[in-house]
Amino acid sequence: MKKIAKLLSLALALCLCLALFAGCGSAPAGEGDAAPPDDAAVTDTAADAEGEGDAAPTEPGGTLIMATNAEFPPYEFYENGEVVGIDAEIAAAIAEKLGMTLEISDMDFSAIIAAVQSGKADMGMAGMTVTEDRLQSVDFSTSYATGIQSIIVPEGSPITSVDDLFAEGANYTVGVQQDTTGDIYATGDIADAGLGTVERYNKGADAVQALKTGKVDCVIIDNQPAKAYVAANEGLTILDTAYAEEDYAICFAKENTELSAAVDAALQELIADGTVQSILDKYIVAD
Amino acid sequence: MVLLATWLANIQSQFILCFIQDDRWKRYILKGLGNTIKMAVFAVIIGIIIGIIVAIVRSTHDKTADTAHKGFGRAILNIVNGICHVYLTIVRGTPVIVQIMIYYYLIFASSNNGVLVGIIAFGINSGAYVAEIFRAGIMSIDQGQFEAGRSLGFNYVQTMRHIIVPQAFKNVLPALGNEFIVLLKETSVAGYVAVMDLTKGAYIIVGRTYTAFMPLIGAALIYLVIVMFLEWLFHKLERRLRNDER
Amino acid sequence: MTNGEVLIRVEGLEKHFKGGAIKALNGVDAEVHKGEVVVVIGPSGSGKSTFLRCLNLLEVPTGGHIFFEGTDITNPKININIHRQKMGMVFQHFNLFPHMTVLGNMTIAPIKLLKQSKADAEAKAMKLLERVNLADRAQAYPNQLSGGQKQRIAIVRALCMEPDVMLFDEPTSALDPEMVGEVLEVMKQLAATGMTMVVVTHEMGFAREVGDRVLFMDGGLLVEQGGPEEIFGSPKSERLQAFLSKML
Repeated sequence: MKKIAKLLSLALALCLCLALFAGCGSAPAGEGDAAPPDDAAVTDTAADAEGEGDAAPTEPGGTLIMATNAEFPPYEFYENGEVVGIDAEIAAAIAEKLGMTLEISDMDFSAIIAAVQSGKADMGMAGMTVTEDRLQSVDFSTSYATGIQSIIVPEGSPITSVDDLFAEGANYTVGVQQDTTGDIYATGDIADAGLGTVERYNKGADAVQALKTGKVDCVIIDNQPAKAYVAANEGLTILDTAYAEEDYAICFAKENTELSAAVDAALQELIADGTVQSILDKYIVAD
Repeated sequence: MVLLATWLANIQSQFILCFIQDDRWKRYILKGLGNTIKMAVFAVIIGIIIGIIVAIVRSTHDKTADTAHKGFGRAILNIVNGICHVYLTIVRGTPVIVQIMIYYYLIFASSNNGVLVGIIAFGINSGAYVAEIFRAGIMSIDQGQFEAGRSLGFNYVQTMRHIIVPQAFKNVLPALGNEFIVLLKETSVAGYVAVMDLTKGAYIIVGRTYTAFMPLIGAALIYLVIVMFLEWLFHKLERRLRNDER
Repeated sequence: MTNGEVLIRVEGLEKHFKGGAIKALNGVDAEVHKGEVVVVIGPSGSGKSTFLRCLNLLEVPTGGHIFFEGTDITNPKININIHRQKMGMVFQHFNLFPHMTVLGNMTIAPIKLLKQSKADAEAKAMKLLERVNLADRAQAYPNQLSGGQKQRIAIVRALCMEPDVMLFDEPTSALDPEMVGEVLEVMKQLAATGMTMVVVTHEMGFAREVGDRVLFMDGGLLVEQGGPEEIFGSPKSERLQAFLSKML
């Protein structure tokens, strides 16, 4: 037992060290001025990893690293081995404005936050939605696009509108992609309200597969991938009414105020001069 | 001092956000832990049952290859041994994540119970590894033990049950303990079939709060505590069994 | 001791290994009478151990027949396990079960196979342990015993099944010299109770003193047999003479 206690305390100490690192990485924004060494350290790590020396975060000639999860067309996806899409193009435009080189780092969606908070990436851009809870941990830019959460059902489904999901005694099983807005809303609106069950899949394609095999009654997912899934799978259809609308924004580590301010300023200019809209129009063709 | 206080306050607010707020510890961590334990425990039971049966079939086949009468029984044994061989090859030759996807989407397409599918998938998967562990254990027992059992009048199965398997079990206990620890952590791939296990629970909190480390470190700590408990338990069991012989 | 009733009859026993490449037994005919102590001697590789192990089918013969108490146990249709219960066996390397106490070793077969109650089986085992002066080791594990003690336990373990014949496969060969005596003493006592015994051994003194009949095997054949005086006093075959000259 003594040995166990010793091991446990060792493990705890280790975890505290890790937490210390994590804690530093997300020092409160208000303390930003008080702790410049932290900022510098974090940015250095990112820059060193790229062999860019001691370039300041927004200095022209530096590298702007964007973390994303390239499984979310048309915002980010692979084409000819390159990550392309709305987010990629907007990020490129921002980098150009700042005189920096854009580098896109594709990773698991859950890893984006870790990459941003640890300084391995400068910003996260992956169709991310602003929520109260998230604002406690990260900063968001101005919103640059609006996403729609749609509902996919099999043809002939008893679910014909959003309201059917909330009807008295509905009790449907809803499939979502974990951590998406659809997941967060459905968890609150349906699971917590006792109106049904929410099954969380790691990928949108898995949720659609579950829908096809009858494991779930409908899938709530972003409208753009929803269109792609319905096109690829016969017998599925998208309901006319949207489940929810959301605003996409870029996320930054809280203490990285200098960078986030610069990026946000560049983004606002791009929105004002219509660049963002033209990129959106290029990828999203109106129905 | 001020820095330390700020840091502590920051940790505290992160902790509250990740675990306390919205009852997240209960909704994601505790519930996830429950699913993880449920899957691990039942998969271990299935794994041991399959493992022992397959190991006995395989070692019986190998041991009696040149002594048994040729006949109906031998033909059946050959067929069953062949099935076991195919089972071991397939299960050990493919990633468990692919296996669980196949069980979930194809074999049990009509079942919505991801935990049950997980139990079956992990149990069948673990059974293959346990089978080879047990087979090694059975083959390591001196042939004289087997002959002594048979000479007293025990039939093959009784000899296995009363004499060989208890000794083999003791010999393979460390390897078996290792397999259980691996299995416990492997259950985290159940997240792919919509099961909210401990790992997925932690990731959901990451997604909700955009706090990258606190939930994962919390989950890691829980895994660590369980594994340490298992190690302690196996160590104790091993010592007790060894003491018998000293 | 011999009253003439045949307990084991062996006819044309053959045992070939590896598809006939190795011929361990080449047609052996022999009989074991009730109450008799038969000692099997011969050089190593002569087939004497194989012969003994064939008697309870630990080695399955490739030819010939073995009749035990009138039943042909080489017939694949009979249940050999029933007959083995009546044939105790003692091995060169003892083969005690290391995961059980001495008492556990002795009582597991009577409890599981003869359906004796635990108390009955243990009472009988304790009586046998007293006979071999090991009652104080009843709760010990095999690894705590000396070689001589292990072999004495192995003998009484077999006796717990109340067998009709006891088979000994070189019971003293793995023992340190100073422990051979205690085991042979137990075997002598056992012979004196009228137990039928078949003993494969290199202990010529034991064969001469205790054996009712001695079988000499060589090259997978039963070369010569007879009373101890005959075998040791006036060996007929050259092979036996050569063997004895090396042994003595």
